[in-house]
Amino acid sequence: MEAKQYIGEGWKHAILIIGAIVVMLPFYMMVSMSLKSQQEIQSISGGLIGAQETQTFPVCVKTGYSEETCTMKPYQYNYWFAFEKAPIPRYLMNGVIVTLSIFIIQVLVALPCAYALAKLRFYGREFVFSMVLFCLLIPVHGIALPLYVMLAQAGLVDTYSALILPWTISVFGIFLMRQFFMTVPDELIDAARMDGMGEYAIVWKVMLPTAIPALLAFAIFSVVAHWNDYFWPRMVITGNRDLFTPPLGIREFRGGIDSDEFGPMMASIVTVTVPLIVAFIIAQKRFIEGITLTGMK
Amino acid sequence: MHNSKAHIWFIAPAIILMIIILIFPLFLAGGISFTDYNLGNKTFEWVGLENYDKMFNRKTYVKMIWATATYVIVVVPISVVLGLCAAMLLNSLRFGADIYKTIFFLPVMATLLAMAIAWEFTLHPTLGIVNSFLANGCGGVREFILGFHWLPWVDSQESWYAVACANNMDFPYWLKQKNTAIWTVCFIGIWQAFGFNMVLYLAGLTSIPRELYQAAEMDGAKSTWEQFKLVTWPMLGPTTLFVVTITTIRTFQVFDTIEILTKGGPSKTTYVMMYAIFEKAIQQNLTSIGAAITVVFIGFILVLTFFQRYVIEKRVHY
Repeated sequence: MEAKQYIGEGWKHAILIIGAIVVMLPFYMMVSMSLKSQQEIQSISGGLIGAQETQTFPVCVKTGYSEETCTMKPYQYNYWFAFEKAPIPRYLMNGVIVTLSIFIIQVLVALPCAYALAKLRFYGREFVFSMVLFCLLIPVHGIALPLYVMLAQAGLVDTYSALILPWTISVFGIFLMRQFFMTVPDELIDAARMDGMGEYAIVWKVMLPTAIPALLAFAIFSVVAHWNDYFWPRMVITGNRDLFTPPLGIREFRGGIDSDEFGPMMASIVTVTVPLIVAFIIAQKRFIEGITLTGMK
Repeated sequence: MHNSKAHIWFIAPAIILMIIILIFPLFLAGGISFTDYNLGNKTFEWVGLENYDKMFNRKTYVKMIWATATYVIVVVPISVVLGLCAAMLLNSLRFGADIYKTIFFLPVMATLLAMAIAWEFTLHPTLGIVNSFLANGCGGVREFILGFHWLPWVDSQESWYAVACANNMDFPYWLKQKNTAIWTVCFIGIWQAFGFNMVLYLAGLTSIPRELYQAAEMDGAKSTWEQFKLVTWPMLGPTTLFVVTITTIRTFQVFDTIEILTKGGPSKTTYVMMYAIFEKAIQQNLTSIGAAITVVFIGFILVLTFFQRYVIEKRVHY
């Protein structure tokens, strides 16, 4: 019995390891290419990190740098040259600005509304809630075209507003917070009212602190979705490099002048992709919770 | 009970934004789809159903429907089944489950666009490790396994692998060939989606009470398969329904991989709806056609979700 169980366990690991290798394949390729020299990439040699021989890089010299500056190890060169050629920090900064603005506005709009729907009694509450339920069905990417037409008419294409505005309302956030607030005991709110707190103070000083766990999960859900989003920025940002979000940056690295040199290109892509992956690995549990949030019933 | 008017200030911003950002665009898309309006035009004419007529009769749009349908029909079932299998395997492991979970969830987290480019190089005919792995395996175990020589009806001289080896390592140009591009894109879709489904199934599995398995065993369901049929699968009903719906909706919206890897080609075999909307309406400025595609797209999504709600109410209550 014991032996049989071990064999069973062994088989399972064998299958899962093959699966894990297939899943990791592009990650391996990405990191490996960002470390190796062009020759090693083209001849598919050198394993994960290549030989790392110090050499002079011709493309770098052609760009106008001195030969001395251009002599270094491949991994140094790839990452250095990536930063020389594209304003990567700017793209990352834009990513932070856009995702944070979206999240903050979403909370500012959703939290009071969720509180009203959960804890205040007023005429038309059921109607508002059914409106929320209906809007849950509408995928924002699906209505991207009419939204684009509206933004274009308002002259907002190629602005931060275009990146942020369509996402300011998260009906999912309203729904989620409302469900959460339903579980908060009424006594807590009544006690706050007795203490003379107004409704505004209750929302931000009583309800917000109780909602931190749900809010954190929602934050991860929202930030990951918008950090990775490519479709919407691609629609509304046409050429202004200053407004590029990380995915638009990635697209530019691939299609740009440097497409004859894969190392620096992959180095840029790794740089832009890594922050989120590192955050994920550090706080896995929270991330998985947040992203599968849509699975909560 | 409170008697302030605070609620108006609480709900007004949300209502206004919902109307402007979510509800009005539905009508706008519907309206534009009956006109010949293009962005930048001063005037427009009502053209009735002309745009829809084009959509269902022109070859391009028929191919669009085909590509979208193929993508959804391939990616949804496979990623759901893979997610379920992975969840069940992980659930029965004694150790190491967390590591696999992290690895399988990575594609869900990582920026899809970056990963699409990474896949492009991985599958590249001359630079990629996939084709070099295949080429190095000619005549060996890899050829035997991946060429399906172990199946009794496959001739070991005629399999796709053997033929490619014989023809000077002529392995597929995965993303550039008409007969492989859509399947390669589907593969990337499955690669990206199954970890998400796995996590939802893992949550579903932990909510099944242990006693049910003991009861099933007493009723004579001894083998793992019988227990799966009797307990696990029925208990996962609501999870499955949810997983299928959400995967379908996400799958319908595929865009990143198509735009960066195939641009809808070769010969429109990967011309999915979201890409069609982008190409027609934004790049070619044919707003009205794009609006018609949008309306059909939204229609699909609404039908799907209503279907899900209907099934939930009718069937999945035990």
